Amino acid sequence: MSAAESAPEARRALDPIWLGRGIALVAGVLLVLYPMLSDNLYYQNMIILSLVFAIAASGLSIITGLAGYVSLSQGAFVGLGGYTVGVLATHHPDTNVWLWMPVAGVTAGLVALILGFVAMRASGPSFVIITVAFLFLVQVIAINWRSVSGGTEGLSLPIPTWDADIANWPFYYSLVGILALQLLLTWWIRRTKLGTGLVAIRDDETKAATLGINLPVEKMIAFIASSVLVGVGGGVYGYYLTFIDPRGMFNILLSVEAMLALLVGGKATLWGPVLGAFIVEPLNEYANNNLGGGNTRLLLFGGLLVLIVLFLPQGVLPAIESLLNWVRTRGRAGLVGARIGTGGSLASLTGRLSLVDRAAAVDPRPPLLEVKDLRKAFGGLKAVDGASLVVPEGSITGLIGPNGSGKTTLFNLIDDTIHADGGEIWLAGERIDRLSPWTRAHRGLGRTFQITRLFREMTVLENVVAAQRSFSWGQLGRIAVSGSEARAAEELLEYVGMRSFRDQKARALSFGQQKLVELAQVLMLDPKLILLDEPAGGINPVLIDRMSGMIRELNSYGKTFLIVEHNMPFVLGLCDPVHVLARGHTMASGTPDQIQKDPAVVDAYLGDDFVLEDEHERTVR
Amino acid sequence: MTEFVQALVLSLLVGGIYALVASGLTLIFGVMRVINIAHGAFLILGAFITYTVWDQLGLDPLVGVVITTPIVFALGWLIYRLLVRPIRHAPMSSTVLLTFGLALVTEGVMGLVWGNESTSIRPSYVDQSFHLGQVFLPKAQVYGGLLAVVVLGCLWLILTKTWLGRAIRAAAANPASAELVGIKVTSVAALVFGLGLAAAGAGGGITGVLYPFVPGSHYLWIARLLAIVVLGGLGSLEGAVLSALVFGVAETMTAVYISPAWATAVPYAIVFVVLLFRPQGLLGTRLRDDAVTA
Repeated sequence: MSAAESAPEARRALDPIWLGRGIALVAGVLLVLYPMLSDNLYYQNMIILSLVFAIAASGLSIITGLAGYVSLSQGAFVGLGGYTVGVLATHHPDTNVWLWMPVAGVTAGLVALILGFVAMRASGPSFVIITVAFLFLVQVIAINWRSVSGGTEGLSLPIPTWDADIANWPFYYSLVGILALQLLLTWWIRRTKLGTGLVAIRDDETKAATLGINLPVEKMIAFIASSVLVGVGGGVYGYYLTFIDPRGMFNILLSVEAMLALLVGGKATLWGPVLGAFIVEPLNEYANNNLGGGNTRLLLFGGLLVLIVLFLPQGVLPAIESLLNWVRTRGRAGLVGARIGTGGSLASLTGRLSLVDRAAAVDPRPPLLEVKDLRKAFGGLKAVDGASLVVPEGSITGLIGPNGSGKTTLFNLIDDTIHADGGEIWLAGERIDRLSPWTRAHRGLGRTFQITRLFREMTVLENVVAAQRSFSWGQLGRIAVSGSEARAAEELLEYVGMRSFRDQKARALSFGQQKLVELAQVLMLDPKLILLDEPAGGINPVLIDRMSGMIRELNSYGKTFLIVEHNMPFVLGLCDPVHVLARGHTMASGTPDQIQKDPAVVDAYLGDDFVLEDEHERTVR
Repeated sequence: MTEFVQALVLSLLVGGIYALVASGLTLIFGVMRVINIAHGAFLILGAFITYTVWDQLGLDPLVGVVITTPIVFALGWLIYRLLVRPIRHAPMSSTVLLTFGLALVTEGVMGLVWGNESTSIRPSYVDQSFHLGQVFLPKAQVYGGLLAVVVLGCLWLILTKTWLGRAIRAAAANPASAELVGIKVTSVAALVFGLGLAAAGAGGGITGVLYPFVPGSHYLWIARLLAIVVLGGLGSLEGAVLSALVFGVAETMTAVYISPAWATAVPYAIVFVVLLFRPQGLLGTRLRDDAVTA
C-alpha cells in the first residue's frame, strides 16, 4: 500500500503508453534529422535497409500480428514492387522513375488480392505453405520470363540524376514517409471494428464467424493492407539498389528478415516491428561485413528465429511492457476473484430494446425458427438424422435429450459452425441454410457455446465489441475501442453484471464469468433468436437463478430463446414448448407437462424415477 | 512411345523416393501437428553424410544409408527433446517458424562444413544402365528407387505391425487418453520425430547418388515435399505415397515434354490448384473440429 503511493510520479513516468510515445517521438525526430547531421554513407545505407524491413514488418503485423496468419510471402511483395518499377523504368527510359512507385503499390495489392482468393480458403498450416509456394513460384516466373524480367541476369535501373551530395536523401525520406503511412494504417486498423474482427479471427475463427464477422472479406482486406505499401517500399528499394535480380529480390531470406523483425519487436504491437527491423537489419549487415556473410547470415537468422520462438515468443516490447506493468501494479490484489455485479436493468439499454406487448401477440405464435429434416453424418455415425423442430416467435423453447443425441450438433448446424448434409433451416420466413455463419448472425441468430469460447487474448470489453451486427464497409472502419460501440458494450456488461471486469483478459475469468460475458457478446448482435448451449451447466446455483432471471427479462423484451440444458428443473420451469431429441431426431414435442408424462421420453431420457418436485421448481423461479 | 515408357518408369522410381521422404513429413504432422519445414534440410544433410561415408570409408553410398539413417534418426530424436517439445502446446505457427529457423541453421552448418559448391556422389555404376529392349534405365536410379521402396516398406511394417506403431497411432488420435493407457506420449513423439527425419535422411542418401546437391537445395525439396503432402492430405500416409507417385510423374513429364526450367514450377502450381479445389487433399478427410477437446 505504502509502496504504491510513495512515488506516484515515478509510476506515471513508467506508464508504458507515455514512455513508449516519448521514445517513439524522439526516435522519429532523430530519424528525420540524421541525414542532415551526418553524411556517413555506411549508416545511411543501414538505415535505408532497416526502413525497408520496418515497412515490410509493419505491414506483416496486420495479417500475422492481428489476424494470426503466418505469411512468408512478405519478401515477395518487396520483390514485386521492385520488379514493377524495374520493368517499367527499363521500358520507359524517359519517364521519371518516381512516377512508377504508386504502380508498384497497385501491383502488390492486386497480387495480394489474387493470392488471397486461394490462400484464404485454407486455414492455419496450409496458409503458410501457400505463401512459401507463392514466393518460389514468383521467383521461377521471374527467372523464366526473360523477355520482361531479364531472367537471371536481372535488370539495371537508371542511375539517379540528382545532386550527389544528397544522393540518398530521396530514398531515405520517401521510405520514412511510406513507413509513417504504413504505421498510420496499422494503427487505424487496430482501433476499428475490422481490427477487433481480425484479432477475433486469430483467437477463434469459427467463433468469430458466429459473431457476424465476415471471414473472407476481413482476412482479404488485412492481406491487402499488409502488402500495398510494402510494394511501394519495394519499388523505392529496387530503385535504390539500381540492380535487381530474381535471386536477390525474391530471396526467401527477405521474408524471413521481415518475419524476424516482427517477432523480435512484438508481433501484436504497433512499434515492435519497427524496433525489430532496426535490431535485425544492423545485425544482418554486421554478419555480412564482419563475419563472412553467407553461411553466418543463415546461422544468425535461423538461430535467432529458433531462440525467439523458444524463449521470447511475445517479443521485446511486450516483455518490457509486462515488466513495467508488474512494477506498477505490484502488491495490488487482482480483480478476477471479485464478486460479480448485481446487474443492471434492461431499461437502461435505452433505444436498443423495447417491451413487447404480449396482449397483442397473435396466437398461435408464428414460427421464428423452423428446422426441417436436418441431417449430418460423421463418417457412418448419423449425429443428426432428420431432426425437425419449430421455435415460436417470442417463446423460450427447450431442447433436451440424452448425451450424444445430437443437441449441440444441431446447434452447430443451425449456425453453420459445421455444415449440414441436408435439410432446411428457416429463420423469420427466410431460408438460411445456404447462408454463411456471419450472414446468419446478421439475420438475427446469436449463439453461446457449451464450453465457452471467448477470445482469450482479448479483454472483456473487446470481446463484446468484437460482435458485428451487420456487414458494411462503413461499419468495418468504425472505431471499436471507444465511442458509441464501446458504450453499448459497457451497458450490456453492466446488465450481465460484468462491467467491473471490462479490462480483464478473458482467459483470466472463471467459467461462470465467461458464460455471462458470452451472453453479453451475443446480445451485442441484437439477435432475434438466441441459442443457449447449457447456460446452467457448470455454474453455481445463485448464478443459475440469475441466468434464468435474465432469460425471462430478455424474453419479455422480445428475444426468443432456444435452450439446450440437462438441468431439468431449469428447463421445465423456464421453457415452453420443449423438444426432445434422441438418436439425432425429434422424438417428442410439447409443453413441459406433456413431456414429463410422455412414456417414450421417460423411457429414453428422464428415467422411471423422474419426479419434478415442487422445491426444484421454486429454486428456478 | 519408348521415350514415354522410359520417362514413366523413371518417374515412378523417383516417385518411390519422394514417397519415402514425404511419409516422414506427413507422419510427423499426423502425430504431433508439426509441419517440419526443416525436412528438406535434413534430406540434404543425409546426402552430405552419405557423401562423407562414401568419400572417407569407400563404402557404397546406397549401403552407406545404413550408417546415415541412424545418425539422422538420433539428431531428430535430440531435436524433438530439446527444441520441439518445449513448445508442443504453442500454436502451429510457432513450430513452423521454429523448424524454419532450424532449416536455415542446418543450411548454414552444411555450408560451413562441406562448402557451398555443388557436390555429387559417384559410385562406380553411376554411368551404367540396364537395357530392356530400347528402354534405358540407369542403374543408380533403379537401385535407388528399389532401396527407397524397401525402406518405406520397413517403415510401414513398424507402423502397422509393432506395438510402437499402435502406440504411435494412439498418440496421434488422442494424446491424453494414450497417456492414460500407459503410453509415454513424449517418448513416442520423440521416436516419431526421429523416424520421420530418418526417412528424410535415407531419401537424401539415395537422391545424393542421383543428383548433385548444395546446402541451398533444401528449398526445392521442402517445396516439393509440402506439395506432395498437401496433395495427399496432411497427415495421411497412404495419401502421401499416392501423391508422391503422381507428383514424380507430373514433374518428369513436364521436364521431358515442356521444359526442365518449368518443372521446378510444378510443385508450386500443384499446391495452388489443390488448395483451391480440394483443400483437404486427395485422401485427407475434413476433421470434425466442433467436438470438445478441452
